[in-house]
Amino acid sequence: MADEVLVAEHLTKRFGRREAVSDVSFTLHAGEVLGFLGPNGAGKTTTIRMLVGLARPDSGRIRIRGLDVATDFRRAMTHVGSIVESPDLYRYLTGRENLLHFARMLPDGAEERIEGLAEMARLSERLDDKVATYSLGMRQRLGIAQALLGNPDVLILDEPVNGLDPAGIREIRELVRHLAEDRGISVFVSSHLLSEVELMCDRVSIIHRGRTLASGPVRELLEGFAGDQILVRARPASLAAERLSALGAQEVEASRVGDFVTARLEPARVPDVLRELVGAGVDVYSVERPGASLEDAFLQITGGETV
Amino acid sequence: MRFAGLVENEILKISRQRRFRVVVLILIALIGLIVFAQSRGRDRYLGGKDWRVRTQERMASIQNWLRDGRMPASSQRWARFELGRLQYHIDRDIDPEAISGPLFTRAFANASSYLLLPLLAIVFASDIVSAEFQQGTIKILLTRPVGRVRVLASKLAALMLAITLTTLFGALVAYAFGGIAYGYRGWGAPVLTGFRIGGESFDPAGVRSIALWKDTILVFGLAWFAMLCVGAIGLLTSVLLRSTAAAMGTMLAALIAGTILPRLASQWEAQKFLFVTCLPLPDYYSGSPPPIPGLTIGFAAAVLAIWAAAALAAAFIVFARRDVLA
Repeated sequence: MADEVLVAEHLTKRFGRREAVSDVSFTLHAGEVLGFLGPNGAGKTTTIRMLVGLARPDSGRIRIRGLDVATDFRRAMTHVGSIVESPDLYRYLTGRENLLHFARMLPDGAEERIEGLAEMARLSERLDDKVATYSLGMRQRLGIAQALLGNPDVLILDEPVNGLDPAGIREIRELVRHLAEDRGISVFVSSHLLSEVELMCDRVSIIHRGRTLASGPVRELLEGFAGDQILVRARPASLAAERLSALGAQEVEASRVGDFVTARLEPARVPDVLRELVGAGVDVYSVERPGASLEDAFLQITGGETV
Repeated sequence: MRFAGLVENEILKISRQRRFRVVVLILIALIGLIVFAQSRGRDRYLGGKDWRVRTQERMASIQNWLRDGRMPASSQRWARFELGRLQYHIDRDIDPEAISGPLFTRAFANASSYLLLPLLAIVFASDIVSAEFQQGTIKILLTRPVGRVRVLASKLAALMLAITLTTLFGALVAYAFGGIAYGYRGWGAPVLTGFRIGGESFDPAGVRSIALWKDTILVFGLAWFAMLCVGAIGLLTSVLLRSTAAAMGTMLAALIAGTILPRLASQWEAQKFLFVTCLPLPDYYSGSPPPIPGLTIGFAAAVLAIWAAAALAAAFIVFARRDVLA
């Protein structure tokens, strides 16, 4: 399919007797952001190293724009830009020298993109300073600018928000969405942060202990795990809890601090129950449905192991 | 994607790192120091005598040592060789200890081919691949649309260029300082070269007289070749060890072993197959008695070339095949 930009099939990588990646498969479609989610040590970076040809899979195949990375490495790499593990660049060179350095490794035309990319990465003013003086966020953005020098179809980012402050995280997130939505670049983002994947990605693939556990559109995955939990803030909480139980809500629990009651209740019954509560003299301040997050989904899938 | 661009990248990286400036400073400081110390000591040693008188006195004292009979066999060989060499200079009316800027320049190549120049080659070579691993930049370098063999070839080309420039710069600094102390003229003076030990005594058959400038070019050419071979072996350690400190330490230990071995264990003949023993090519060419029998200039050059070729082959194979996981 022309729509499939990067296809990884049954990737397996062993280190000695330990299987770091086992039978991992996924597909990256044109213009989408695919999250590669898993705890540290799940095999994310090893998988990425195989995608960009740094490591050879023991079995399985990677095709980028139909080109096999193992047999057609150079042509495949013309379509890819990547940051593996951390945005490591030459610290003793300036940002511009770094970009020039890597532009010289690309087909003609890359050097002309330096100014534009520096502007996009908001580095124009610091481009002639040594990278050693850059903040982590700036190095991350310079790394992305480097990855985009060759005008790639695929951008591979390994934990791009690791170690960044909230403002830096938002910058990277907006940059990734911009690249996917406005420039049609397919982005493969690994992360161990559920919230980030939820905000940044269209689809997600969950990896745990070297295996893919689930994959699909973020929204679908969320809906699949959408719960029927509600959170009621009411006074007196004890009376509210009592009434909720009487009306058939499950797992009713009044919190000991504050006036909160949690319970499980079918969405359709919420309005009736609210009327009953008010009628019974309970003051209701708010009703919330925390909703499912990837966090819940992830915990459910991995069997409660912490991320 | 042109190869020249890749080489340009590597040169940029070498020249922008601190080690490049350190090498330049080492050469200037060390050569300056040598010239200063030598010219101070020399005035006292020569004592204003005519060089013929001085040389004959020296020959007489060597003969006394020989007659004394307490010399070890290897020193006796050297003593007989030295007598022949000095006599040959007197016969040809050439001062064996003459000094001038140009002569100092040539002597620098001889003296530095054991340790100093190979050391500088190692400073460049041990870092050229390992630094990319240590900085993490190898992950970008090897994921660009350029084959790994081409990447390493560009590094090798830049390394050879750095070694060449270092040799030239060393020669230039030696001439500059030597000239300050001893005058800049004298490139045309004849020098005697090709002294050999034939069996147990001095063999004049190979001795030739050659213009100093030609001899200097030859000697620097040999030192340069030895440096290139050390560079190739250093490149392999850099690829294998992926740590600049480890690579530099390994090569340094090998070099020092090479300067010690022939002195402490001259009986062990197999050491002539070690690359470190073969490094002082300029000495083997000029014809000082070889430390190990059979270690001629041709043999030493061949051993070095084989080591270098094997090291390069291994470096390219490992670099092209190995997974980058660091």
